Amino acid sequence: MVRRLGAAYDWLDERTAIRSLLRKGLYEAVPVRGAWFYTLGSATLVLILLQLITGIFLTLLYVPSVTEAWASLNYLKEHDAFGSIVRGIHMWSAYILLFVIGLHMIRTFFSGSYKRPRELNWVTGVGLFVLVLVMAITGAFLPWDQAAYWTAVVVTNVPAYTPFIGSFIRALWRGADTVGPITLSRSFGIHVWLVPAILFPLIGAHLALLRKHGEFGSYVNYRGAYRTREGVDVPPAPAQRPTEPPYPAAPSDELWAAPLQTEDFYPHQTFKDGIISAALVIVVFILAVAIGAPLEAIADPATTSYTPVPEWFFLPLDELLVLVPQQLIPLVLVLPTGGVLLLLALPFIDRGPERNPFERPAVMVPGAFAVLFVVILTLLGSGRLFNL
Amino acid sequence: MSALLAVIAPALHGLATQLPSQAPQGGNIVGAQIAIGSLFSLHILIAGLVSGAAELGPAIEFLGYVRQRRSYDRLAHGLGRFITYYFSVSSTIAILLITVLLVGFWGHFWTTIVTIGWWPLFIEAWTFVLQVSLAYLWFYTWDPLRNFKGVHMAIGGLLAIASFLQVFMIDVVASYMLTPTNPQNPVRLALNPTSYPLTVHRTVGNLAYIGFAFGGFCAIRYLRAKTAEDKRFYDWAGSFGLLWGVSMTLLQPVVGYSYAKEIQLHSYGSWYKMMFGSLSPVFLWQITLLGIMFLTATLYFARRLRTDEARGSGILKLLSVALVLTTLLAAQPYALGFSYESVAAAGLNRPFWEGGLINPLGSMIPWKVLALMFYTLIAIAAVVWYLRGLPGVVWGHARRGEQRILILMTVLTMLMMVTMGFIRENSRGPFLISGEMTIQGQQDVQTAQPTPTPQSGP
Repeated sequence: MVRRLGAAYDWLDERTAIRSLLRKGLYEAVPVRGAWFYTLGSATLVLILLQLITGIFLTLLYVPSVTEAWASLNYLKEHDAFGSIVRGIHMWSAYILLFVIGLHMIRTFFSGSYKRPRELNWVTGVGLFVLVLVMAITGAFLPWDQAAYWTAVVVTNVPAYTPFIGSFIRALWRGADTVGPITLSRSFGIHVWLVPAILFPLIGAHLALLRKHGEFGSYVNYRGAYRTREGVDVPPAPAQRPTEPPYPAAPSDELWAAPLQTEDFYPHQTFKDGIISAALVIVVFILAVAIGAPLEAIADPATTSYTPVPEWFFLPLDELLVLVPQQLIPLVLVLPTGGVLLLLALPFIDRGPERNPFERPAVMVPGAFAVLFVVILTLLGSGRLFNL
Repeated sequence: MSALLAVIAPALHGLATQLPSQAPQGGNIVGAQIAIGSLFSLHILIAGLVSGAAELGPAIEFLGYVRQRRSYDRLAHGLGRFITYYFSVSSTIAILLITVLLVGFWGHFWTTIVTIGWWPLFIEAWTFVLQVSLAYLWFYTWDPLRNFKGVHMAIGGLLAIASFLQVFMIDVVASYMLTPTNPQNPVRLALNPTSYPLTVHRTVGNLAYIGFAFGGFCAIRYLRAKTAEDKRFYDWAGSFGLLWGVSMTLLQPVVGYSYAKEIQLHSYGSWYKMMFGSLSPVFLWQITLLGIMFLTATLYFARRLRTDEARGSGILKLLSVALVLTTLLAAQPYALGFSYESVAAAGLNRPFWEGGLINPLGSMIPWKVLALMFYTLIAIAAVVWYLRGLPGVVWGHARRGEQRILILMTVLTMLMMVTMGFIRENSRGPFLISGEMTIQGQQDVQTAQPTPTPQSGP
């Protein structure tokens, strides 16, 4: 049996070169330091795959029309325990995905991993973050219950504050002046076709770039490998530099792209990745079974008694919109838009070789305050919602 | 501090002997309010520092461990020493407040609020025990646990958590008095509309306050320092304290505005009093004081960089000018009288160019909101530019002028703390518990109580 399997493997390898592919995939060098922080990237990927799998199951039943959408999900809730759990997994993995991808970005930001030669890694990462957000936003409309409908009303109105083209964008998204059947079918199309069509190639590009340049590791690895505080270039000790690909073996102007210590991706990093990803999947499953995905009453545009409550990831923006007077709302909406543009431009603005977060105040301080403000606004927003 | 207690204790003793058998009436109510208000302000001024130190100290120790800098460790140790010295002082004042003033003057109110907030006060009492145990443990194991830094930092982390919990629990009761909810539901009680914003506001405020306070303390020690090492340390620590204080304070416009919004939604009368009524001049002073604080700090940053000819002092001067203009905008009164309420009562609530007493440039929306946004953005820019220039600074070179600014910042912060406390506590008036118990009502109930007759034994 073993001999036959070995022969089959040889047959496959002769035709596909799978052996060298696996070797390349599993035995590349990764940094020793910062390895646990790197599990956030693989956890993001696992959660996205979980989204894909559960999403495919849900499309087998879900009908994107205002008359059938709620009923199809209510059928799951009332009559199909397995389907209900699948929907729970879909929702909770999306929530945890947003949290994990946010942490992944914060880690990358604070460690300066976006610097040369990894600028495009960062840009694709920002793109992925935005796409995941779009997925979450459009996904929130799909149940077509009260929460979904009123979220759609509020969210599709946000672009209307954009100068000059705001009304056009709102009309394009809604498909009419008000939220209705076309809004739902367009949001469904964006959720299951448009965004995934961009998302998965972008994930491929992100991973390919990661493999090309290697994982960054920790800024501690790079001590002495870049310009010091006094402006003196200190060359790294050659004996300590790794020679394994993908890191540069010889001193070059990409010197800072190499960590001091490395180990094989398999089994070291894969073990850590496996632990964190498995733990997250278990948490998602427990939440899906214990709490599940809520489904309120069917959407009723005529109601005057319903108080819409935003999804948790909207809380910072929602709190800002509550706090800021109406005439200043366009100014406030500049913040998220400008924030995304700034994030995209970050590696091209902060080009110095310094990685130590304590030595990069011009970038770190505004970044730290941005994170703090998001956390504080989320806290304040949740407190307000509790007392509605 | 012992001198302070020596003054306070006889005064309180005298007051206690004068306590009426029944609640104070007429002019005595005002006297009781002044006595309670003054002592509460003093308590908050010390307790805020203790809480801030118990939260910031462990964080500084951790930072020193990560950065391998001994100066951070020395600073954290100093904060630990401060906590052990002043914890008992703050507690003594609090206990005197409760046992002598609150129970004596406003017994009915105190009984009611303890009944309503029994669980938060019970938990607070235990976090108090936890906090004092951990504070002493943290400070006195500094050297014995030198080789077990992880364990020591874990004790510090627990101390920070206990301190936060203590502040949160007392905030639950304090916020309930402004925005009461169903007292039968402990979760509703704990998460009443203003408990979240007040806790965030006060936690961030305490953290800023301790930064400014030890900045001022280090400035005094710098001026008295004899050795070059001490001068280096106190110069650095003073700068660090100010930088930390400004970094925390610049969060406050958003947090404070959110707090005011909740008061508007859930206790409109109090909000109206703050924005348009008798407290609006104090509110105007508060928003102006905030600008003065940012301006003073930016001037320190500019001067400290200029002393060592480090880069960035020019930009910081420009930011100071921007702060002056923003403060002038924020300081514009809306009503050119005592308050909008009085102007409206006189029928003069129209723009001044139409013969009225309204200055549209002083309106909250949009001008003061814009000013608050500018405060935050300019302060962030000032912090960034100061940090960029710091590599060019040689610690121990600071001049007397910079140290005076640090001391001034401590005074301004204390003023801000007292101003905020004054606004918050008086906005409820005439209520002790908003919408439920007035000061006069508590007096009436309390004076109606029969004097208890001694029970004879069985």
